[in-house]
Amino acid sequence: MHAETETAARENLVLVLTSPVEPEEVDPDADLAARYGLTSLNKVLFLTSLCDETGTELSRFTEHDLARMTTLRKVVDAVAPSTIEAV
Amino acid sequence: MIVNRITANAPTGGRISFARLDGTETLELVELHRRAGRLAGALAELGIGPGDRIGILAANSPQWVLLDLAALWLGAETAGFEPGKFEPDQQLVSRYGLRLLFTDRPAEAAGVLPLAEVDRLVEKADSAPEPVVWEPDRVTTVKFTSGSTGEPKGLGATAASIDSSLRAVQDMFHHRPGDDLFVFLPLSLLQQRYWIYSALRHGHDVTVSTYEAAFATLRRARPTVVMGVPAFFETARRHIGARAARSGKPVGEQAVQLFGDRIRYLWTGSAPAAPATLRFFNEAGLPIFEGYGLNETCIVAKNHPGASREGSVGRVVPGKEVLLDADGVISVRSDHPVNDHYAYAAPGDSEKVFRPGGIVRTGDLGLIDQDGYLYILGRADDVIVLENGKKIVVRPIEERLASGPAITEAVLFCPRQTELVAVVRPAHYPPDEAVIADALADANAALGKDERIARAIVAREPFTVENGLLTSQFKPRRPQIRAAYAADLANPQEGIHAR
Repeated sequence: MHAETETAARENLVLVLTSPVEPEEVDPDADLAARYGLTSLNKVLFLTSLCDETGTELSRFTEHDLARMTTLRKVVDAVAPSTIEAV
Repeated sequence: MIVNRITANAPTGGRISFARLDGTETLELVELHRRAGRLAGALAELGIGPGDRIGILAANSPQWVLLDLAALWLGAETAGFEPGKFEPDQQLVSRYGLRLLFTDRPAEAAGVLPLAEVDRLVEKADSAPEPVVWEPDRVTTVKFTSGSTGEPKGLGATAASIDSSLRAVQDMFHHRPGDDLFVFLPLSLLQQRYWIYSALRHGHDVTVSTYEAAFATLRRARPTVVMGVPAFFETARRHIGARAARSGKPVGEQAVQLFGDRIRYLWTGSAPAAPATLRFFNEAGLPIFEGYGLNETCIVAKNHPGASREGSVGRVVPGKEVLLDADGVISVRSDHPVNDHYAYAAPGDSEKVFRPGGIVRTGDLGLIDQDGYLYILGRADDVIVLENGKKIVVRPIEERLASGPAITEAVLFCPRQTELVAVVRPAHYPPDEAVIADALADANAALGKDERIARAIVAREPFTVENGLLTSQFKPRRPQIRAAYAADLANPQEGIHAR
């Protein structure tokens, strides 16, 4: 995973979770909805913040792209600068 | 009536925008009106006319809005089906007597058309027919509400009930050119379509977003009004609070960052909002107004600028009357009732709710203060009657239990007459039993003797709409939660016991 994006993703993810989780505790391959209770509204808030911080345009994604971002790793892979064109 | 005016008269101004993650499409309302008329012409050629019913099972989109308006134009009923809750199959078409069903999901059943067909129909038609004039008591649309058996109940809404609600809202909020009302909840919920009717009638703008994209499209749209529900504003509150704490910037600045810089007010309803959430937005400079109403009554009461009282759901709107029985159970009488029966429901459901004279028994408990403000105290169905005859209203107890950091949600039951037992969702998994026990002790210390909670069953997973433990309005489904934890509730050894 892209290290800077991963750090930003971890930090921004825990901000929207209702349960207290430390950024470093997030399992990159765990389902964000099932394990951490991430709702679809919170997911957009998380991605909005992450994209703001990493200088990525959220408008490059569709609702369908979002639906496929089910784990932290998939989010990072989608948002990280080197892979964004592949999404 | 407004539903007649908006098809008969082209709007003089205003725009409608459709916002998705990847962009926004904007139309002048006059162009929307023109396309709706042409679609009505094309649907008429397909044989659709007064009394026919068109189904729409799709995410929010321009086509959804056009179909709804074209149906109004033709005097045809709509039935809005929320994707995920219904499947676009033959059974749906048959059960609800649909002449046509439009969907954005894959479907092959007879009578089911892809939503994209709407665009082709608009292009194909060369003229619009004369709009049909709706009689007040005719049903314009079937709306669906959670049913006790899992099968949604269907309720036809009369033209006059829609008109009455739209007028009441306009008297309170004065939506006008320059306003932009932000809608993101599914258009299958009739009230979300009100804001489009309002735009066509009053010439203001309206932005329709997909549900998933709402928080991303908000600041791009810069609306003046956001139509939400408590869970949405609670999510926003947590986000704004966390961003403010992280950045050191004022809460108000973070709120503007999320909602844009033009907010005139925020609208919430459908479920009770946490007092802390309402206070948060009011203090952040975004006035938020809570109201009260059911599918069966439409809007009954609403706080609004100039008439708002903390803790209440506002004064009763013109055309509605709140009747309280000896136990405080609310019934609502309407000058223009939504209906007097369900169109689709289990036997006996209509009789439980609808009474003669345009009266609906809500099952909620309330009181009205000396200035006419209505307060909702809980659901009559949520009252536990103990052996000693004492009635326990569970909501305040549940709110107290969930008010600390350990527990995010609590639902109270009385599985045997001897004890109250809460099913709780812990703040984090794996649950910290000692912290939950502390929360239980704190709550019990503040509760009356009969209200003491004997033990707490820790929920194995959060209550969600997806697992069937919350309604689509994010209210706990008590019967389902009770069933899911029946063994734990019945076994006095189970759970975390009060000290």
